[in-house]
Amino acid sequence: MTISEQHPSDGSGIAGHGAFFQPTKLSPEDAAKATAWVEKHVDRRTLDLADRMDDVRDHMWQLEKEGEIIVHRVADAHRPIDAKTLFGWNKKIPTQQLWHHKSCGQCGNIPGYPTALMWTMNKLGFVPGKDYLDETDQTSCTAWNYHGSGVGNLESLAAVFLRNFHQAYVSGKQHGHELGHFYPLVHCGTSYGNYKEVRKYLIESPQLRERVKKILAKIGRLVDGKIVIPEEVVHYSEWVHVMRNRIASELQKVDVSKMRVTVHTACHYYKMVHEDAIYDDTVLGGNRTAVGTSIAQALGAQVIDYSTWYDCCGFGFRHIISEREFTRSFTIDRKIKVAREEAKADVMLGIDTGCITTMDKNQWIGKAHNQNYSMPIMADIQFAALACGADPFKIVQLQWHASPCEEVVEKMGVSWLEAKKNFEAYLKEVEAGRIEYLYDPALAISK
Amino acid sequence: MATHVEMREIFEDIKSDLRYDHELNGCLNCGICTATCPAAHFYDFSPREIVQLLWTENVEQVYDTMQEKIWACAQCMTCAARCPFKNSPGGLIAIMREVAIKHGMQSAKDVLRPFGRVMLKLITTGNQLSPDMIQPDHFPDWGPNIQKVEGNLKTLRKAIPVRTLQTTDTAWETSLKTSVEMYTIWEMTGVLKSLETMDENLYAVIEDFIDEKREEYEDQLAEQSDKGE
Repeated sequence: MTISEQHPSDGSGIAGHGAFFQPTKLSPEDAAKATAWVEKHVDRRTLDLADRMDDVRDHMWQLEKEGEIIVHRVADAHRPIDAKTLFGWNKKIPTQQLWHHKSCGQCGNIPGYPTALMWTMNKLGFVPGKDYLDETDQTSCTAWNYHGSGVGNLESLAAVFLRNFHQAYVSGKQHGHELGHFYPLVHCGTSYGNYKEVRKYLIESPQLRERVKKILAKIGRLVDGKIVIPEEVVHYSEWVHVMRNRIASELQKVDVSKMRVTVHTACHYYKMVHEDAIYDDTVLGGNRTAVGTSIAQALGAQVIDYSTWYDCCGFGFRHIISEREFTRSFTIDRKIKVAREEAKADVMLGIDTGCITTMDKNQWIGKAHNQNYSMPIMADIQFAALACGADPFKIVQLQWHASPCEEVVEKMGVSWLEAKKNFEAYLKEVEAGRIEYLYDPALAISK
Repeated sequence: MATHVEMREIFEDIKSDLRYDHELNGCLNCGICTATCPAAHFYDFSPREIVQLLWTENVEQVYDTMQEKIWACAQCMTCAARCPFKNSPGGLIAIMREVAIKHGMQSAKDVLRPFGRVMLKLITTGNQLSPDMIQPDHFPDWGPNIQKVEGNLKTLRKAIPVRTLQTTDTAWETSLKTSVEMYTIWEMTGVLKSLETMDENLYAVIEDFIDEKREEYEDQLAEQSDKGE
């Protein structure tokens, strides 16, 4: 029997759907009933790909069992807090004994970002050298360069990843701790995305593991002849996310409830290996990754959504250095202007080096085309530290920002000019060698 | 202009990358990737087109695309997050850029020329941009408010309350041992060779720098050994 015979029709059909399609002739009420299921809330995050996707961690356990690799575990000593990722999978976020894996762009450009993070840890009672370590034996992930120039390859990225994470694994020894004492906390969004991607390929490909192992053997970065792979790759904003309520309840001093906050979450945080990014039903309905936004919410700020939330910042890796007209135009058109005109925000918070640099530095140039938009730009943890009473200069280091961050400081009830005067007086102390540190500088020297 | 055989070789190099089969799973030309692409706003560039050319193994046009278009991509990976087929146009472009460099394509040389200083910094120190590279003179478009406190860069960096960040010529203080390990990685993974293909002069400077640092490290080890450390 042909389709036409199965579904007899008056021959007119519905345009473009073939003769066997015809109007249902349902009443509006019945039509609504028939399609109601479509309009019901469907959580695409759980339906889409979760069942079809592999969890790389399952394969890691298997490879460890077979004696191929060592998994650097998030142990009880790291006081982990669980968070849910895109498909509802569990991710263990270590909260203590952390190895700060710095970001090259961040340290050069936005030093207040790591300092605000370490200051917050100190305020929570962390002991440097035991609860966290910031040391000299680490390189950047080299992925900024890779994404910008194409110089590098999967093997070099993998070797750098395993070298740095090996150092994190063994770093406690010098300070009298066991192997695995310090767990890497990755500051940069691109490092985070890149490391997770590389981890997947390392787990999948014995050939890649073999090639990289030869390099690591040569530089003495194997443990018992094996490579060390982390159970979780953890971004600092994930630490902030799981610690947000402690930060707000134990440290917050300034009421920020009148402040309108927009958030730009780094693309490489949630668009690379997206199944591993954190989502939370209490943050923007669980429709967008939670990090960044959740700390603003916990501090009581007004989080304002905006239409270009998903857009990138325009950094472009190569473009920010050698084709800045693209970077400037995109960031002004799609981020700064929208945050100012549509969201009427007081501040835009980021969670990554490249985005903050891009949005912070590329505002003034807009004047060339009568695009007079400005917006204070800073990291979530810088905003949190300010709300917890940190010095805007000594700790939050806002003097390195080009955007009008003074507006945020003033709105928090702190006199920018007064703080600046104090800092300028402090610079005289610095010149005389009287420097205030967040931790004993001797701890930083890797032996 | 390359011969068809050379173009085929370039295509096969792209296709043989371990990541290729993960990044390309099929394409229905839906165009979601291009609709979300920041580079597509400003350049004659479409991630959909790249995927289609690779998917249909159109070696001539793949080659043509590598002359310029692949360098427009901002590598944000929005396309990868949105593609219903789980393709990663951005990931495919990363592979194509690598292959463009391996084959010493002129487009890659032209695009990378302004990257020389950054490359030198990265290869020799493992860092990317250092504070002394981010000075107002280098970035007039960042405006007059680039730094809110006037002063000597060295003093301003010393005022950061973290030892590792009190540097001016690297983003953070890196131990010599770390840098030397990095050089071995660059060498053994063929990165230095790629650099030589791209820019012989830059490579020569980097080679000298690496030799010097290695000698310095050997001296450091000898000194430690003398002290019985």
